[in-house]
Amino acid sequence: MKEIIIPVRNAPGTLAAVSEMLARAEVNIEFIEARVLGERGVIVLRVDRYDAALRTLNDAGYRAVTEDALVLDLENRPGSLAEVARRLADARIGIRSLRIVERAGERSLVTLIADDPGAARRVLAAELVTGDGA
Amino acid sequence: MTTKPAIPDSVTHPAVLDESSAARLDALYERLAAERKVSIGYPCNQQFDYAPLFRFMEFAVNNLGDPFSGSNFRMNTHDFEREVIMSFARLTGIQGEDCWGYVTNGGTEGNMYGLYLARELYPDGIVYFSEDTHYSVSKILRLQHTRNIMIRSRHTGEMDCQDLEESIRIHRDVPPIVFANVGTTMTGAVDRLDRIREVLERQCIPNAYIHVDAAFSGMILPFVDGPPPWHFGAGADSISISGHKMIGSPLPCGVAMVRKTHMERISRSVEYVGALDTTISGSRNAITPLVLWYALRTHGDEGFRELVAESLRKAAYVERALKETGIEAWRNPHSVIVVFPRPPEAMLDKWILACSGDIAHLVALPGVTWDTLDEFVRDMRQAIGTAV
Repeated sequence: MKEIIIPVRNAPGTLAAVSEMLARAEVNIEFIEARVLGERGVIVLRVDRYDAALRTLNDAGYRAVTEDALVLDLENRPGSLAEVARRLADARIGIRSLRIVERAGERSLVTLIADDPGAARRVLAAELVTGDGA
Repeated sequence: MTTKPAIPDSVTHPAVLDESSAARLDALYERLAAERKVSIGYPCNQQFDYAPLFRFMEFAVNNLGDPFSGSNFRMNTHDFEREVIMSFARLTGIQGEDCWGYVTNGGTEGNMYGLYLARELYPDGIVYFSEDTHYSVSKILRLQHTRNIMIRSRHTGEMDCQDLEESIRIHRDVPPIVFANVGTTMTGAVDRLDRIREVLERQCIPNAYIHVDAAFSGMILPFVDGPPPWHFGAGADSISISGHKMIGSPLPCGVAMVRKTHMERISRSVEYVGALDTTISGSRNAITPLVLWYALRTHGDEGFRELVAESLRKAAYVERALKETGIEAWRNPHSVIVVFPRPPEAMLDKWILACSGDIAHLVALPGVTWDTLDEFVRDMRQAIGTAV
């Protein structure tokens, strides 16, 4: 089952808002979980209509992340991305794309697309927001 | 013997709209005219008059092909396009004979061209770009399958060169392609090319490429005193500048400017597919080169200098007025973008502002009147309930 990860503000009612929006779009949620990361958080979803859910969320202004990206929770400081890049380079894993999704307070959420997602997942297990993934 | 078909040489159709369709056009005109007055959040200069060019709308013109190579399709404006490119060469610090370029459909195409050129020159390169980079760059990188790493921005919106250096150090064996913003979308910040060059020199990087996205500020910085290092003279390999932003144009447009040696190198590499057309699009707009040519000729350097000075005066004015109202407004140096905390929703119902997260901005362009700015400040004061 494919996952969708949505970075959100850690505010009351966000989970309900996302659920109601998807219900209106006739998307059935099969799994939903909210994880708090300081001032921010992520909602992890598994749905029956993956593309419809992505379109609905993006239309509503959410920055939904597809499962081909690993989502990492890092310290919000200069060099933290570089450290991730170093560990991947040491493990001979190529980075296709590494980008910041959210930065707030002491934490930042980062998405990573690697040449070898499985190996990257193992190397960065401690930073992964979604532990089990696909 | 061939018999001609029994139809006239010219078939005419009555070019008359039915009443309801005509009314729709009238309504559209009125809507656009009204929204122009409150559209202060996007960097599109609405003040222009291209009436002398209207007559060219009767021709089916097309600038397909390289403007410097000629084309069998002579219904084009290549000669005007070449003059436009030569004018931009002067403004971007490069000799005309050392540069090549063409008029694009806008800043995104110019960025795509620069990144395409970089990727052709350095197929294994990694693109480094800041988190304040325009979202279209992510699309381009995805389209071109180029490896990329996002770099943190400082609070001003400028690329954090410490973070850039850390990331480049780890991938020293891979040519860096640095995507530098000269005027970020939200805050007008400039990624200084001297600082980027220093990073590359400290890391002893022999092969690197710098593309500059100067969509908006590319027509501001040539006309201010003491601009930061931003153009070919400071080490850029390619530059994209929008035409419909600071200059103003009814049709989106821009220029892609590159070092000629780079273009010649990739031209050789694509010869084997028989595609000597060096531009990204085949058919290209032939009216927008005329628009840019006309604007450059009618304003001249002095005209643009005055337009930029006026915009900067307006930006300083509204920044000060907002601060006096208790709003934490600020600007980057040489920027006509005034940044402030995201206003209440009621403000967004009336004013067309650009918002991102907790901040919003207005762009003090020449067409934005002093009265409009005063009205905006009054509305802000009322909206946040801090009447002075």
